[in-house]
Amino acid sequence: MRLLVIEDNLELAELLRKGLNSAGFVADVVNTAGDARTALATTRFAAVVLDLGLPDGDGLSVLRDLRERKDTTPVLVLTARSGVRERVTGLRSGADDYLVKPFAFEELVARIQALLRRPGDLLGQALNVGNVAFDTEARQVFVDQQPQFFSAREMAVLEILMRRSGRVVAKKLVEDHLFGLSSDGGSNAVEVYIHRLRRQLADAGAQVQIHTIRGVGYLIAEGKEP
Amino acid sequence: MRFKSITSRIISLHVIAIGFTSICMPLALYWLLSSTATDLQHRALRDHADTIARYLKTTPDGTWTLQLPAGLQELYSEAYGRYGYAVLDGQGAVLFSSLDNRAPIFPADSRAAQPAFLQTRLGNSVIDGASIPEQVGGRSFWIQVAQDLEHRDVLIDDIVADFFPRVGWITIPILLLLLVIDIVIFRRALFPVWQASKTAQTIGPTRTEVRLPTEAMPREILPLVRAVNEALDRLEQGFRIQREFTADAAHELRTPLTVLRTRVDTLENPMVREALRDDIAGMSRIVSQMLDIAELESFVVDPEEKADLHNVCAEVAAFIAPLALAQGKTIALTGTRGPVWIKGNPETLFRAIRNLAENAINHTPEGTLVEIDVAENGIVRVLDDGPGIPESEREVIFRRFWRRDRRRSGSAGLGLSIVSRIVEAHAGSISVENRAEGGAAFSLRFARAA
Repeated sequence: MRLLVIEDNLELAELLRKGLNSAGFVADVVNTAGDARTALATTRFAAVVLDLGLPDGDGLSVLRDLRERKDTTPVLVLTARSGVRERVTGLRSGADDYLVKPFAFEELVARIQALLRRPGDLLGQALNVGNVAFDTEARQVFVDQQPQFFSAREMAVLEILMRRSGRVVAKKLVEDHLFGLSSDGGSNAVEVYIHRLRRQLADAGAQVQIHTIRGVGYLIAEGKEP
Repeated sequence: MRFKSITSRIISLHVIAIGFTSICMPLALYWLLSSTATDLQHRALRDHADTIARYLKTTPDGTWTLQLPAGLQELYSEAYGRYGYAVLDGQGAVLFSSLDNRAPIFPADSRAAQPAFLQTRLGNSVIDGASIPEQVGGRSFWIQVAQDLEHRDVLIDDIVADFFPRVGWITIPILLLLLVIDIVIFRRALFPVWQASKTAQTIGPTRTEVRLPTEAMPREILPLVRAVNEALDRLEQGFRIQREFTADAAHELRTPLTVLRTRVDTLENPMVREALRDDIAGMSRIVSQMLDIAELESFVVDPEEKADLHNVCAEVAAFIAPLALAQGKTIALTGTRGPVWIKGNPETLFRAIRNLAENAINHTPEGTLVEIDVAENGIVRVLDDGPGIPESEREVIFRRFWRRDRRRSGSAGLGLSIVSRIVEAHAGSISVENRAEGGAAFSLRFARAA
């Protein structure tokens, strides 16, 4: 997997190159917008990591040029700006994702991996949280490698939570996912499924917890037995 | 009297001018008319004298006769009474007269070399007339002709007399019409100025790119408009420099932190690594807060912008939840469930409420709940089960760099001052009190969008 890293800070560029290499990528590093344009014009990269603050021009202009050429190479923007307007501008210019400096290196690797499998790849992947594994292709849930049996609706709820493990999934999103946008599945239908999931997972000795964030939604995270 | 409006100033001057003109112009016309009428009358009198002189003949015996045709005799007859004549010789003796007693019409006639226009009273009548020198057959005569002014059958006199009631008044409506036309002209001429001021009203810190239109602007006002536009250029430049400074500062501060963080991530010793990561996280937070402060310094809410307070609070709760759970605490969103639209910027509102929620999470014991409560009337409350805020600190906590415990690192005491700055930019208010059951309650009040 060949990546292009556009970063003007030489130290950071070198650290990123080394880190990405040890994470299994081949990273080419350029330090200016000019070099970035040359590299992008001549070579195909699996993904681009773009710093917005460059000495010879705004990183966003490199991104805009790329998108004007109908090049859909995924771009992860690194930005030091966390201002009110900058985030919106960055994503509107065609960035696939962004990270605000300073970031954890694992986070960068995780985001790049997410970008690389985003299109096409029909998510034939295993979702893992704690000792719970969800094979989305075979529609099978394992706790400590032991297959567990859930109804289709319970599986759907578990899947959407596990896809966003560690983050809050809005209750509305779960409802929409289960019943479609139009139909109203009843206000406590989701709660019923969550309740059943909790009990079954606990019974199976799962090291995960489904938290209710009242008024917002749910969150699944690795955790001690309740 | 001072007028603020240029139009009313000009129009009031016009009213004065028109008032003056509407008095003077008829007077001047009247004067012109009457002097023309007098001239005409004088000419007519002279014509009478010339006619009479033509019929003045000398006989062979040296005496003079005046043989007026019948028509003329009638005209001058005393019965008719409108005109009269008398012919005087060089010595002032009356040779002929239309009066029965052969009297002169103007006894006081001085017989000047030039025609003299005279007036006299005859009975009840005012007699207007002239004494005209004439040369007939080498001799000088003065022919006196007269006209009874009481009998106005003369057209010219009628015109002059009727001028005021019949004709003079027409100047007033004409002048008033001019005034109306003036008003229309001024309105039209000042229309671009009115438009420019409409445009100027939209200029604000969030819209510095707007410039006043110069096309169709009257040349007299153009320099002002240009100067205003140039001033706006300079202001925009100032705003841009400020924005660029925060962006550059962010880059210059955060990039070294990223280098540091990445280096630390590759350290072997997990104890050292975690300790350094915590330090870097604290440092990063301070840098972020400093940059927030710098950015908010020039932040103004776009008056057009609206935010759904409920949605912003839901995002904050979702954002804080993982942090809260990691510390063994919970967060909940309570209150109204529907959207609460207020005038404001969602991104900065998010920051304000996030800061309050983070503060609450960081200052409360494990196992407690932080509640974000949204009310339909635009009030957000962040409630916690912590120790609460002592009465004496309720003012100072919003000050920059205030910290209760200055020994704690990783906090610059900027969080609440950022909240208060954002609330201020939204023309809202912030207050804090302790809940009856313990814990602090921060309340933010915002104006609902129409």
